[in-house]
Amino acid sequence: MRSFFTTTCTALIIGAGSMTTAADIPGHPSDISFEELTFTPPVASEFRHELSNGVPVFMAASHEFPLVTITLSFKGGGYMVDADQAGLAGMTGAIIRTGGSSTMTPSQLDEEFDFMAANASVSIGDRTANASINSLTSNLDETFALFMDMVLHPRFDSDRLEVLRGQQLEQIKTRDDDGLQIALREMGFLMWGEDHFEARQPTKASLEGITVEDMKALHARIFNPANLMVSVTGDFDQDEMLAFLDIAFQGWEFGEKSPAIPVPTHTFKPGVYYYEKDQPQVQVLIGHRGKTRDDPNSVKVEVMNQILGGSGFTSRITNSVRTREGLAYTAGSMMRSNVEYPGIFMSYFFTKTPTAALATRLVFDEFNTIQQETASTEEIETIQNNLIETFPRTFESKGAMMNMFMSDERTARPSDHWQTYRDRVRDVSADDIQQAANDYLHTDDMVILVVGPWEGVKAGNADSEADEARIATMNEFFDGKATEIPQRDPETLKPIKSKN
Amino acid sequence: MRALRTAAISAAAIMMIPATTAIAQNVQPIEYTLDNGMKFLLMPRDEQPNVITAGWIAPVGSANERPGITGVSHLLEHLLFKGTDSIGTSDASLDQEYRDQLTDIREQMRAYALDVQYARMYKGEIDNPWDPANDTDELREMRSEMTRIQDLQSKITIKNEFDSIYTGNGGSGMNAGTSNDFTVFYINIPSNKLELWSWMESDRLMDPSMRELDAERFVVIEERRQRLEATATGKLDEQFDSMFWVASPYNWPVIGWMSDLMAYTEAEIFEYFETYYQPANLTGVIVGDFEISEAKQLIESYFGRIENKRPKAQPLVTHSVPLLGELRFAGECDCQDQVEVRYRSVPFGHPDEAVFDVMSDLLNGRTGRLYKALVEEQGIAVSAGASHRSMNYAGSFSFNASPKNNTELAQLEEAWYAELDRLKTEPVSDRELQKVKNGQAADTFRGLQDNSSLFFQLAITEGYGGFEYLNEHPKRIAAVTAEDIMRVANEYLRSDARAVASYLRKDSGEVVMITLEDVKASLPEEMAAMVYPQIEMQAASIELETDAEGLKTAMAEMDEQAGMMPPQLKTAFAFMKQQMQKRIDELESGDASTEKTDETTENGGDE
Repeated sequence: MRSFFTTTCTALIIGAGSMTTAADIPGHPSDISFEELTFTPPVASEFRHELSNGVPVFMAASHEFPLVTITLSFKGGGYMVDADQAGLAGMTGAIIRTGGSSTMTPSQLDEEFDFMAANASVSIGDRTANASINSLTSNLDETFALFMDMVLHPRFDSDRLEVLRGQQLEQIKTRDDDGLQIALREMGFLMWGEDHFEARQPTKASLEGITVEDMKALHARIFNPANLMVSVTGDFDQDEMLAFLDIAFQGWEFGEKSPAIPVPTHTFKPGVYYYEKDQPQVQVLIGHRGKTRDDPNSVKVEVMNQILGGSGFTSRITNSVRTREGLAYTAGSMMRSNVEYPGIFMSYFFTKTPTAALATRLVFDEFNTIQQETASTEEIETIQNNLIETFPRTFESKGAMMNMFMSDERTARPSDHWQTYRDRVRDVSADDIQQAANDYLHTDDMVILVVGPWEGVKAGNADSEADEARIATMNEFFDGKATEIPQRDPETLKPIKSKN
Repeated sequence: MRALRTAAISAAAIMMIPATTAIAQNVQPIEYTLDNGMKFLLMPRDEQPNVITAGWIAPVGSANERPGITGVSHLLEHLLFKGTDSIGTSDASLDQEYRDQLTDIREQMRAYALDVQYARMYKGEIDNPWDPANDTDELREMRSEMTRIQDLQSKITIKNEFDSIYTGNGGSGMNAGTSNDFTVFYINIPSNKLELWSWMESDRLMDPSMRELDAERFVVIEERRQRLEATATGKLDEQFDSMFWVASPYNWPVIGWMSDLMAYTEAEIFEYFETYYQPANLTGVIVGDFEISEAKQLIESYFGRIENKRPKAQPLVTHSVPLLGELRFAGECDCQDQVEVRYRSVPFGHPDEAVFDVMSDLLNGRTGRLYKALVEEQGIAVSAGASHRSMNYAGSFSFNASPKNNTELAQLEEAWYAELDRLKTEPVSDRELQKVKNGQAADTFRGLQDNSSLFFQLAITEGYGGFEYLNEHPKRIAAVTAEDIMRVANEYLRSDARAVASYLRKDSGEVVMITLEDVKASLPEEMAAMVYPQIEMQAASIELETDAEGLKTAMAEMDEQAGMMPPQLKTAFAFMKQQMQKRIDELESGDASTEKTDETTENGGDE
């Protein structure tokens, strides 16, 4: 097991290095020559095994430390829950972990895990549910037995449920305390609709309505071997582990597979939206629906977005909004892809009130430039080289690699995806990038969402800017029209009216 | 695969029998020191092929600053990404000219601000002497000149070249961090790029340009707003910290006071750099897939070039004074109600540090004492925890909690003092102590499992005096006894030397109008049938009331009865008061006949 990578990576050529002395230090890093580093991406099938009941297990051992991590990953999650039960999935995951097992009360179980220094976690997300344990190798037999009893037969202890519910109810009161949290919530509502699982939020009513029966039902639907894949990393022997899991899963009955993920039907309306909040810095999000993960142009769009705003300091939006103009500490763009339906493209920055309009203008300038002009060869090569050279990091952590292989199998990612990835990046041309910018960025159909003191944001920076060419107001966008998003009660999320 | 590698992490785990785990770790990097005094720790590791985490640490942070230049360590950290004569400009000599011109105009603006604008502020004419919105004509002219030169300089600036070079060569996660005590720079690079790293890092240590200083000043100001001023508790935390540390240089924020951020000169920044970033003051750390012999050669060639330009920096003179009483800080914010009780503890490496670490573990987590007592048994908190932080010159130990429902913060505070009494008077059981030690031992492994966390542990412990701490601290933890905990709790966690911060949610000024439906929903079913129709009727009669004084008397009577009111009627009660107040307002403003409409925004737009 120790030699995993000598079989999956063809070579590691790191030369002894040429003798370098102070006299021949190159004048610029571009004059340094580097030994080639070859890397062949690992193939999922080499790590994939099956238990006797057919459940896939992805395994990669390493014996550096006496620790083992076993993760059970299930298809299923918040998407299976009705809108009026928002919060059920997350609460169910938390109560499986904190609510005890068939043989132990919650505090007995916690004591045992803590005493044996095992970290156990259970979470139910939007699309998948995970139960994971990280244990010392020496007591894995005991800790995993406790873990499986908890995962298969959670106790749903009612005191712990009320503690958890109390925490959640306090948590939702803080929902309007942080501007970015408001911005992301409202952007989600605008893009997906308030009821789709991508965007929806728990409310006081939905949290108060959740019952143990609801949780038991969701647990039963998700946590069954029909939805299961397993990953194991750390200090173990492969054959022993397979036998160990076979025994542990004995008698675990298959149920129905989790249903398909529902596609959102909501359509968003472009325009300027604002949510009033008195704060010293304004959050601005600019975006629209994006693309699917397996879109045939995905790599081209990815390179385009890296140049535009997705590669930190090297990208254009960061350079103009942050480095050149000093308007923000955080500025950039992201292209989030979903497997089942288009995700979201979004540019973002946080700036002081008077300069929000100027920074918005700079972002639109960059949208226009990347659509109208071809990117320079140097700029493209920098991004291509980065994607290619950082590619091995995708496989750096064995845990992350196993989880990726599980996700790939679950979402039917094309099997040659990783093998051909670098070639596809290398093939992207300047024309491809411009085409992608025109096909995947729709400057007239953006939502501009501002959280902050609107009157000041709208008025812009005429009072404080010495340079005429840099004076901007929000009237530049969508003919000066803007829609106010009413203040929401943090607990119900229903619109409230201020006294005045 | 790498037989010649001699740096090692070794771990020995002894089988756990019911009450004991003993785990020993031994992290042994190769130490390598250059003639100029720069030290390196080399830690080859096979586990993550093809990649390296590399960086260096300077044991300098905000504690080394003084009033007037607070935050300069952090701004300098930013400016070290701005290139050199070789990186970031297409014309180094022209760039130098622009920088000189900018230095001149910056000095003029500073002198003007400190003179004229500060005087205007002290007279109450303006709120902020540095805000461009308060510029005089003269100042605005200077600012305009500055912008003009910046725009010219921008034409020969190669944008973010420092970052682009790393990016194009497969660098990732490039960043740096500044704390009270140290500043650390790091990046992940492919294994074949160690020479590139040596080039880039030694170049910026020899010849930083501090280019784009003025734009970066504003970036840092935005960072201050983002991380601190626009967060729920940031501004209050900053003041509480300042109060807690009294005379110590920990009493200003790492990012600096806003006034100072606007004021630094280039000369101050260069002086700070030359004092604290000399090679003899620095330690490089390389972790991952590399050959020691090659690394040593590169280090020697590249970092060996850097000279020490000044005498060794003076050690810190001012140390903290003890707290002589109880300090109390009460603030309001858009935040969850919360309380913190904070005590002075001990500096990094002090023999009692491990005792504090064990004590906070005893209190934390779902099996910890605070969750059990405050969250589960008493049901007064949604969260409760303890934290301990040792810094170079001092440390602090805190209790913090957020209440459940409307529990008073004072009640949480009292619950903590009760738990603290237990720590002071009852020895902790063997099992409880062993549980904490087991967790600590396993966590030391967990923290060594990847290159970057190993990098940070080596760099930061080195910044605090030596990586050997990584091997010694676990032994100290293992040696902590029940008596140690009682002794430390009594010695340090004293009622006459503590600081208490209470934050309450600010009344937003927005009145959430309670509706009849809210009232209906708030009433338990068995009450609703009887009570609700009455409330409906009374609400209707209030609307017709014309005697404001009578309403006021009725409200005063309601307030007197408030204490006797059953909790189920709280919403109904608040609703009645709301309706009465509304009617009083209408009657007194003479607006009684017309229903006030909500203003619509002028941009109502297309919904």
